[in-house]
Amino acid sequence: MEIEDKLKDIINIILEKNEKERIEVLNDNLSLRNDLEMDSLDLAEFTVRIEDEFGVDVFEDGIVDTIKEVIDKIEKR
Amino acid sequence: MDIFFYWEKGVKTYQQLIEDVNNQQKLKRYIKEISVYDVLKDLIVSLISGDKVILLDNDFTDEEIKNLGISADELNEEIELKKDKISTFEELLDQIEKNKENWEIVLYTSGTTGRPKRVKHKLDSLARGVKISEEYKNNVWAFAYNPTHFAGLQVFFQAFYNKNPLIYVFDMDRSKIEEVLNKFKVTHISATPTFYRSILPYIKGQILSVERLTMGGEKYDETLENQLLNFFPNAKIRNVYASTEAGSIFSAKGDIFRISSRIRDQIKISEESELLIHKSLLGESETLELNGEWYKTGDLVEKIDDEHFRFISRKTEMINVGGYKVNPHEVENEIKKVNGVIDVIVKARNNKITGNILIAEVEIKEGLDKKEIEKEIIKTLKGKLQSWKIPRIITFVDNIELTRTGKKVRK
Repeated sequence: MEIEDKLKDIINIILEKNEKERIEVLNDNLSLRNDLEMDSLDLAEFTVRIEDEFGVDVFEDGIVDTIKEVIDKIEKR
Repeated sequence: MDIFFYWEKGVKTYQQLIEDVNNQQKLKRYIKEISVYDVLKDLIVSLISGDKVILLDNDFTDEEIKNLGISADELNEEIELKKDKISTFEELLDQIEKNKENWEIVLYTSGTTGRPKRVKHKLDSLARGVKISEEYKNNVWAFAYNPTHFAGLQVFFQAFYNKNPLIYVFDMDRSKIEEVLNKFKVTHISATPTFYRSILPYIKGQILSVERLTMGGEKYDETLENQLLNFFPNAKIRNVYASTEAGSIFSAKGDIFRISSRIRDQIKISEESELLIHKSLLGESETLELNGEWYKTGDLVEKIDDEHFRFISRKTEMINVGGYKVNPHEVENEIKKVNGVIDVIVKARNNKITGNILIAEVEIKEGLDKKEIEKEIIKTLKGKLQSWKIPRIITFVDNIELTRTGKKVRK
């Protein structure tokens, strides 16, 4: 599976839990906080699930907010 | 500026607060309000009338209230107030001073054995850390804690006694915070590292009015400290150690805490490196674990010299999720009530956003649909526990790992 697909799955797990609509397309500019309305606990879950999947701590050294920033971090591993 | 409290939906001046206090005829003994202004106003009313009150989180579920041993009748109990009319802020303070021996407040804190424990405070132990002076009279505080928790109360009293404005940013839309901090020229912010991490992505420019940033409730984070200084270049950063039992006791620059000479005789480090606090510094509680006259904090520390120490880790099983301490047993007890669950262990998983989140390993009866059980667990917990007590990741295991003494392995 492509990085994008796996990422979309992780996001949808969290959205579903929050009773929000699933996303079908992963847009590069999508903001985790503003567009997907993730709070601190959601972001914490997000980062842990990514770490389990890709072995990267995307929030390790600074602020990450868009899907593109997340993918960049994963690809740089 | 005479502002007492600003929040997203309104603003109240100290004069309006006094009017609201004068107009209030009744008070609920159990303060459980959605509006933070109402929580603070009720608190002030109780202080003036000298009535004993109990402070509850507004998001406590019915189940959690029941587990605290509070009945519906008690929850609705109302006190008829007997208080004099007040005209000025100084009169307000005089009334509080006059009745402070009668006043008492009960807070609930995550207990180590199951249900949260009651801690009773008098004004003296609650407001011990408050400093009042000319130097503080122009301070403007960002209020970034839950008002029903100890840290929130400490910020409240510090601001209130100096008649400072409190700008409530805890639940505020993060994208509005920078504007609000600038608009009110906030000078002081006290919050958990989790809160600071949550606002950083939204701050675009430098906020020059802030003189002091206080961090507490979680492990010290040096990376965060450096990031904060970029946005708050005029701020001094201070870390505090506080607990619901004892309030704010130590402060630090970086990760080395200093024991002030004022309390040096009331602090000691045990042979097992556990930080002990003398009971004279604590609120009152029947359920506190005391060793003689000493309260065992559960924090393991490294002694540097007679005046300084550094935190190493927690001795107890409590898990810190974004500044909230969670007792894993409380969560496990609720998960075990779900049909099909045989056993469960709740553990911490660390991350850079909230310090920890909870994860659960669950053992279920054979042949059941894991997806369905997972959904059922989340649904059940949502109705029963505050959001930060709900495990974010649930995995299914064949059996829960036990130590040789039969205890669950939590690490």
